[in-house]
Amino acid sequence: MAGSALRRLMAEYKQLTLNPPEGIIAGPINEENFFEWEALITGPEGTCFEGGVFPAKLVFPSDYPLSPPKMQFTCEMFHPNIYADGRVCISILHAPGDDPMGYESSAERWSPVQSVEKILLSVVSMLAEPNDESGANVDAAKMWREDRAEFNRIAEKIVRKTLGLS
Amino acid sequence: MRAASITFISLALTTAVVGNAFYNKKQFYPSVVYITKSNPSMAVIYIQALVVVVLIGKLMQKVFFGQLRAAEFEHLADRSWYAVTETCLAFTLFRDDFAPRFVAQFILLLFLKAFHWLAEDRVDFMERSPIISWLFHLRVISLMFVLSLLDLYFVNHAYLSTVSGGASAQIVFGFEYMILLMIVLNIAIKYVLHTIDLNSDNPWDNKAVFLLYTEVVMGMFKVVLYVTFLIIMVRIFTLPLFLFRPMYYTLRSFRKAINDVILSRRAIRNMNTLYPDATPEELSAADNVCIICREEMHSASKKLPCNHIFHTSCLRSWFQRQQTCPTCRLNILRIPGDRNTGANQAANAEAQAQHAPDVPPVPHPGLPNPFMNGVFPGMFPFWQQQFNQPPAGQPGQPGQPNSGGQQPPTGATGAATGTVPGAQPGPIVMPVPPFPPMPPGFGLPFFCPPFPPAPPPFAVPPPMPPPGLATLSEEELRRLESAARDGVAARLQCLQNIQQLLDAAVLLMQQYSNAAAAASAATVTPVPSSPPSSSSAAPPDSGVATTSTTVNSASPVVTSNATQNSARSEDRPTSVSPSSETPSSSRSKEDTGNSSDLTTSVRSDGSGSSSSSINQTVTSALSPEQDEIRRRRLQKFTGIPEPMD
Ligand SMILES: [Zn+2]
Ligand SMILES: [Zn+2]
Repeated sequence: MAGSALRRLMAEYKQLTLNPPEGIIAGPINEENFFEWEALITGPEGTCFEGGVFPAKLVFPSDYPLSPPKMQFTCEMFHPNIYADGRVCISILHAPGDDPMGYESSAERWSPVQSVEKILLSVVSMLAEPNDESGANVDAAKMWREDRAEFNRIAEKIVRKTLGLS
Repeated sequence: MRAASITFISLALTTAVVGNAFYNKKQFYPSVVYITKSNPSMAVIYIQALVVVVLIGKLMQKVFFGQLRAAEFEHLADRSWYAVTETCLAFTLFRDDFAPRFVAQFILLLFLKAFHWLAEDRVDFMERSPIISWLFHLRVISLMFVLSLLDLYFVNHAYLSTVSGGASAQIVFGFEYMILLMIVLNIAIKYVLHTIDLNSDNPWDNKAVFLLYTEVVMGMFKVVLYVTFLIIMVRIFTLPLFLFRPMYYTLRSFRKAINDVILSRRAIRNMNTLYPDATPEELSAADNVCIICREEMHSASKKLPCNHIFHTSCLRSWFQRQQTCPTCRLNILRIPGDRNTGANQAANAEAQAQHAPDVPPVPHPGLPNPFMNGVFPGMFPFWQQQFNQPPAGQPGQPGQPNSGGQQPPTGATGAATGTVPGAQPGPIVMPVPPFPPMPPGFGLPFFCPPFPPAPPPFAVPPPMPPPGLATLSEEELRRLESAARDGVAARLQCLQNIQQLLDAAVLLMQQYSNAAAAASAATVTPVPSSPPSSSSAAPPDSGVATTSTTVNSASPVVTSNATQNSARSEDRPTSVSPSSETPSSSRSKEDTGNSSDLTTSVRSDGSGSSSSSINQTVTSALSPEQDEIRRRRLQKFTGIPEPMD
């Protein structure tokens, strides 16, 4: 019998393939290793990221689901809640014990109730509505607040890049 | 491609050198002498030897591992870097008998170490892949066999040469291979456990427990080995700097293993005593999927007070992390009506410690503290307890009976006044370890930061050693042995004491490594450090700044320390200490410690940003409203833009 983390990841994978949420594809990069996933997220409609297809990597800890996975976009991103290297900073990816921003309430944090699907949906909503209080990317947060037009322009450029245009 | 050309070039050079020698000397022996006498020729030969070693390594890798995964490769690169630096440090120690043979032995050691690391990664990979082929098993088994044989041979070799030739650098090799042997043993145990698990038809719930105890036992062996090694090295040669980093990590992981065992035992106990089993009717209800593992529940399930049901084993592993309901986050240890006694209460306090930021503000009546007045709600959940008690650690008052360790900061105050809790008369009442409710100086106990933790304030004096077992009476020992609640509690207490000592050791090691880092960095970067005699606000600030700079460069996981640390440093100056000696002296100690940390962090950062953030902090510290500062500081560290008025 495989370990519990592996079994749960396989269950989630099955679930995601059977009932894929709209605009999201996710699965192991290589089916020999279920602890590294790849995800494709389409930019939510009606936002500046509309139309983009953003690839990301999810790395699961060996004690998943007790600890959250880590998520990192593998394409260029410009967003207040995404670090320059692509790491995503949202509360659902933080265990209640660690609080990088110092203000997240524990209700939004990681717990085994969460899942890959919920994480990806949160990321989609994060793309739609950046939280400019948490500054993973300070420049982006500032621009989002003060110069929305420029922000949209950069986002558009990134969207075009992910589509292989530009 | 590049590797191939390097191989080719070195081969060509060697052929040229050997050919040249033969051409000149015509005979075998004179040409060998000719080559060894000529430095350039020897250099070529050494390079060739290195290339051969690398080629053999590649071959072994192909045989035993096949293609390396990207993660394995990264891991290997990281560790090799450290190993090489440590080897260079070790060279400085033995520069007297610095000979090619010696260098070759070190390279061989490094080489074998790399295979041990890879084997470790491979066996861990067993848990991650649904497809484990027979080739995998064959490779792992044969690799472990070869490695253990080699380790044994080299241990034996080192032993013999030490016995016959006296103490030499061979001692180092002996110990290194002994530690490698431990690692192989550890890997083998893990491999067996994983294999049993893979071949069983039902989930094996106790595997985690077995792994936990393996970790503790192996950790203990390793710690003992390292300590012996250190003592021998210090007695024969000098302080072995190259030993500190691995030793520090071993101590830390051992401490973590012990911590895990304590938590796991507590979780199991809570499991068995506090929560009822789910009834068959409840299990057959509509949605009986366990939210933790996403599998159906048929048996062995527990119901929490909030009516949520989980597998017993799933819940147990979750409770090692947190004492909350995974679904609704109810803090199940704070339900009124549960048996709030003894260790249970300690667990309670712990849960509070973990959820400190979530605790609603508890203004304590008659507590004239500015910090409690809603400024940072829940940051000091223990203050209330602390003030409810008679001031701990007053002279003449023996440490209070350890009712669940409800004695937060006596570690500091007790030491100052000379009240040694170890002198207390109670039977199994060991000195109160500041473990369950953490004194401000210790970080969250449950989440050992995955990175070298932010430098702890050295203001925390090492904890009291436990009283000697010899002083325990016959009856006390018997109680310690019993299976009754007291016995279990006492044993847990013992484990906590061990952990306490380890904490101290880890602190010390940190101090050592900081000092070492500072010594090597002092000449590299000029450091903006505040002098120890600056205003009282400055030292804690530099502490905060230090952590934050590390935070900026590292991943967000570390950041919790910044919060922690700021809480700590604010806490200290106002703490109730009967003697005013401790805070100031410890603060200056902390200051020196921190300035050395600054060096390291600035160096690792490499940019000027860290120093500027320090300046910001210092200026903001001078503003009147402390809470505002702290908030701003926190935001600043986490990189939130804040209009700089
Ligand atoms: Zn379960
Ligand atoms: Zn619940």
